[in-house]
Amino acid sequence: MSTTTIDRLRDTELSYRATLAGGALSVFLLIALLGLVFPSSIWGNLLAILTSRSTLSSALRLSVPITFAALGGIFSEKAGVVNIGLEGLLIISAFTAVITTAVVGPEMTVVGLPAIWIGFFAGILSSVLFSALFAVVCIRFKADQIIAGLAVWLIALGLAPFAATVYYGGVNTDNLGTTLGTWTIPVLSDIPFFGAFFDADPAVYMMLVAVPASWYVLNRTAFGRHVRASGENPKALDTVGVDVSRVRYAGVLLSGFLAGIGGSALSLGLGQFVGNNQTMVNGKGFIAIVAFLFGNYNPVGAFGASFLFAGLEAAQIRLQQVPGYGVPDSLIQTIPYVTVLVVLALVGRTRIPAASGEHYDTGDDNR
Amino acid sequence: MSAAENAKAVLRRLTAASATERILISFAALVLAVLVGAVIILVSGRITTCQTAATTLFGTGFCYDPVEVYLVLFNGALGEPFLLNDPALFNPNWNPLNFGFALTLKETTLLVFTGLSVAVSFRAGLFNIGTQGQLVLGGLATALFSLFVAPVLPSGLVGGLVLIPLAVIVGALVGGLYGAIPGALKAYADANEVITTIMLNFIAAQIAFVLVSEFFSNPDSQVVETTPLPDWATLLPVAFPQGGDFSILALAFGLALVVGVWFLLEQTSFGYDLRTSGEQPEAAEYGGVDAKRTTVTSMFLSGALGGMGGAIWVLMVMGKWQAGVPSLGFDGITVSILAGNNPLGVVPAALLFGTLKSGSLAVQFGTGVPKQLVGVLRGLIILFVAMPEFFRMLGSAIDLEPDRETVAADGGALGGDDE
Repeated sequence: MSTTTIDRLRDTELSYRATLAGGALSVFLLIALLGLVFPSSIWGNLLAILTSRSTLSSALRLSVPITFAALGGIFSEKAGVVNIGLEGLLIISAFTAVITTAVVGPEMTVVGLPAIWIGFFAGILSSVLFSALFAVVCIRFKADQIIAGLAVWLIALGLAPFAATVYYGGVNTDNLGTTLGTWTIPVLSDIPFFGAFFDADPAVYMMLVAVPASWYVLNRTAFGRHVRASGENPKALDTVGVDVSRVRYAGVLLSGFLAGIGGSALSLGLGQFVGNNQTMVNGKGFIAIVAFLFGNYNPVGAFGASFLFAGLEAAQIRLQQVPGYGVPDSLIQTIPYVTVLVVLALVGRTRIPAASGEHYDTGDDNR
Repeated sequence: MSAAENAKAVLRRLTAASATERILISFAALVLAVLVGAVIILVSGRITTCQTAATTLFGTGFCYDPVEVYLVLFNGALGEPFLLNDPALFNPNWNPLNFGFALTLKETTLLVFTGLSVAVSFRAGLFNIGTQGQLVLGGLATALFSLFVAPVLPSGLVGGLVLIPLAVIVGALVGGLYGAIPGALKAYADANEVITTIMLNFIAAQIAFVLVSEFFSNPDSQVVETTPLPDWATLLPVAFPQGGDFSILALAFGLALVVGVWFLLEQTSFGYDLRTSGEQPEAAEYGGVDAKRTTVTSMFLSGALGGMGGAIWVLMVMGKWQAGVPSLGFDGITVSILAGNNPLGVVPAALLFGTLKSGSLAVQFGTGVPKQLVGVLRGLIILFVAMPEFFRMLGSAIDLEPDRETVAADGGALGGDDE
């Protein structure tokens, strides 16, 4: 593809995203204006919600699973494997984290490590193992990636409530009575509004580290170069002597690792796994896919989009607590999903890695 | 997402594979899923606690015995024709028109509709995961339509003959329109249909919940549900027992639809357009097929079949719409994949999966293994059908297939360098 075509593509994408970002900003400004002019109206309430520190802090917390799943999705898809099973990875890690903590005993400490952290790592491990299964199925056995991804989701959706029923007699686990808690940084946490960044769930700090780290790995390291080449032009990568399959395995396993952090943080932040209907993950893995498409496969952009979706979720939860507008809660709950739909409709024509979703045959790995 | 092109290539490959091979793969996938399920049952038998071990392997006791679980499952789904743990083996009091078998056929009937819905979209190269949402809203439309129209119709057989077909059509229409939304988003905005349909599932569940809880709720009930329909406006069991919620009429309608959809896909020019846009989109465009319109129409058709599934769920099973609709749409994915996305294959696949679903109740009752086991098998079956290459490698490794040429019929591209 010539540079001009790429540039043109980039321009259209940028204009899409610029329009969307501009749209979001103008909606916010409109709410702010209306809220300031009519402080006692619904707009005043909305403005109060959007600018409150507790909304920011819950938006940060809610963006953790989406952001981590999105980061994972970027690595996998950049390497050439479409991982639509992120939802399943979140479910399996969320469940494993809670059940491991429960089995170890929430109050216990093993070699200096509190049980909840053992659960946290067990959740990550389960997600990595599950993504390894997905990787083998897709890369070694050349399964269709979409169907295999759906299978990963549906297996997790069946397995977690099944195992919970075996152990607890119901699809939800008991509450552990303990959570990951919050890490508070003195002084900084006293800053109004932005102090929420320094008085947060440990996973929030991990997220704030993982986003730039992912960007760095992807764009500034040899491994990142290999990952990108594996998705864009596997043949070239093969020609220079790098094993494409290995890079793809690494990409998928990394997606399992990252999604695992998100899933563990999700359930351990609450201290419970909720397994009815779509489980507590409730579409976050799919929202994550839209988040990284919106963020154009850039970790920082994906975080921005995840934060936007999580912010809507946080505002939506707070909005339910505002009495007197007669809008049913269930309808307000659809706001994040509708937004995801609109965003996807607007950024649908994203330029994805050229060889993503295709099998790559080295011709000599079939022994 | 590019996966569309890749998916189309895979679908093309799948269609090129011989029917025999497809049946073998589905069968092997089912067997493998059952085996992995057995391991999961054994492992969960270690997690749970019990007084006496159900089985002992390698000196370790397990609370659940997988062999017993599957025997109970199969036997329960047929209404216990066999006496397990009894030398007589056959149950002399067994009657084919029994409760357990009615449950199996009930599940089968519903799965025929959702399986067909998924099959139509998959054949068109569209991954419609939204059958669930289409079913939820289609079912709700059927229930509300029946409730509003029933008072002006004569009650009894005549009223039923007028109302039931109309109610099914309304369900189909609403499901179809809801399915056309992701179709249009795909055709005109290139929005990946996997994600849009999943988002629309969430939205459908919430909208239906709000509509019923705020406007159409049954005042005499604590749960979110509509007022029950009059009996004459529902599909009542004919020969089977009352509690089984199975109407042979609905199954007959489903089977007629199977033939209809098969005819539409295989024998009409629309079906040809639909299949070629799924298998060879470029060729279809070149041949003058309006790809965008075909996408929207296919999704409408798929949604309409899902909506009809919802209508049958309301008319045959519930007699009302109730929140917490079972995940029949997701089961439909398994049924369609097991059927190789072939409408005719949907019937045996629905029967197989229907057996698993209804038998799981007997399993929960008889052995204590939670009925959610079926949810695990649902995913495992999809996973194993998705990896035909695995079975090919397995086949060549143990050399059970002397005529490997037939296997290569799967469209040379990959078959060539298998060795």
